[in-house]
Amino acid sequence: MTHPLQEQLSLYLDGELDPADSGRLEAHLADCPTCGALLTELRRVMGRAQALEDRPPRADLWPGVAAAIGVKPAPRRRFSLTVPQLLAAGVVLMVLSGGGVAGALHLRGGGLRSVAPGESRPAIERSVSATSEHGYEAAIRRLEAELLADRGQLDSMTVRVVEEKLRLIDRALLEAERALAADPANAYLTGHLTDTRMRKLDLLRQAIALSRAVS
Amino acid sequence: MTPTSLDASTLRTSDAVAPDADAVDAALAASGDASAYERLYRRHVNRIHTLVCRMMGEDAEDVTQEVLIRAWQKMGTFRGEAAFGTWLHRLAVNVVLNRRSARGRWRKFFVEEPAGGLDHPARPLPPAAGVDFETAIAGLSPGARQVFVLHDVEGYRHQEIAGLLGISVGTSKSQLHYARMALRQTLG
Repeated sequence: MTHPLQEQLSLYLDGELDPADSGRLEAHLADCPTCGALLTELRRVMGRAQALEDRPPRADLWPGVAAAIGVKPAPRRRFSLTVPQLLAAGVVLMVLSGGGVAGALHLRGGGLRSVAPGESRPAIERSVSATSEHGYEAAIRRLEAELLADRGQLDSMTVRVVEEKLRLIDRALLEAERALAADPANAYLTGHLTDTRMRKLDLLRQAIALSRAVS
Repeated sequence: MTPTSLDASTLRTSDAVAPDADAVDAALAASGDASAYERLYRRHVNRIHTLVCRMMGEDAEDVTQEVLIRAWQKMGTFRGEAAFGTWLHRLAVNVVLNRRSARGRWRKFFVEEPAGGLDHPARPLPPAAGVDFETAIAGLSPGARQVFVLHDVEGYRHQEIAGLLGISVGTSKSQLHYARMALRQTLG
């Protein structure tokens, strides 16, 4: 019996043989247990390849990545301003910023990004609304209104993710505000509240940017 | 209305994590949000580490780290046209392949499989029976390993593999077959 080239078995499994060659091979396989057995083995190898599982690194690589991209550990108690002091600073920054939270979105060429790769968003921009009670609330209302108007541009899954993230942030905000009400001089809580507010602003900004990028 | 791009790539990468969460975090990371990038890292690091190790044939955490640093640097080029996982996966493949300074160096890794049918004497095929499947993949010749990982594990097509590795489609097919023939020894 003349057997086909072994490689034809792989090509057959991959659907790479033309119909005529496939027909000839199938006719041969019907009468040749040797080639049939080899075909089965090759198919099992393919199945094993598909079933392989991922393996985590032996150690967390994030510290090395973070160091390389210039990310520092989250600051804790870098300052001890009270809420009124932060509010005052926020008002100043609001004036400096021109009050344009929505203007902080810089869409370039239809893309989603705000700044160049590796750059951090300017500190002043990140501080503006989150540190101003009035400015923060105004910015949130404005961004939420914009997102509501634009949400039709997003697919339903993305909307669900954004809404879920907003719910989580709102819950964190509520807890932080309650804790701060009980301990107004706590600098850590103040910083935590500020960070959480900035996260909400960032999320709203990016969701709006996303909706505009896909529209 | 154009829905947010959630690419339905055929590559195995794209189904590994929730692409909607990735889309949001990728947008945040592109604007410089390191926390969002860390979330992306957490969701994808195992996948990328595994891919890199399989392609390199050894544990290669330094290369994995390099991939993830480059990804941060290139976040601005991610436009959401493909799933983030697919984009990152392709970046990882390119980083691994670029580790070889010249394409010419690759060619020597591709062993020639003798032509002929089953009537021809079979040459000894590494690895031996009983060897772990992952170990057996690592033990393949570099060329056969790359082709096997890209095609059978990761779902690339021969045309793409040929382009990536700088070889002919025919060579990609023969290397794949060689790899499968070798690996079948491990099935026991």
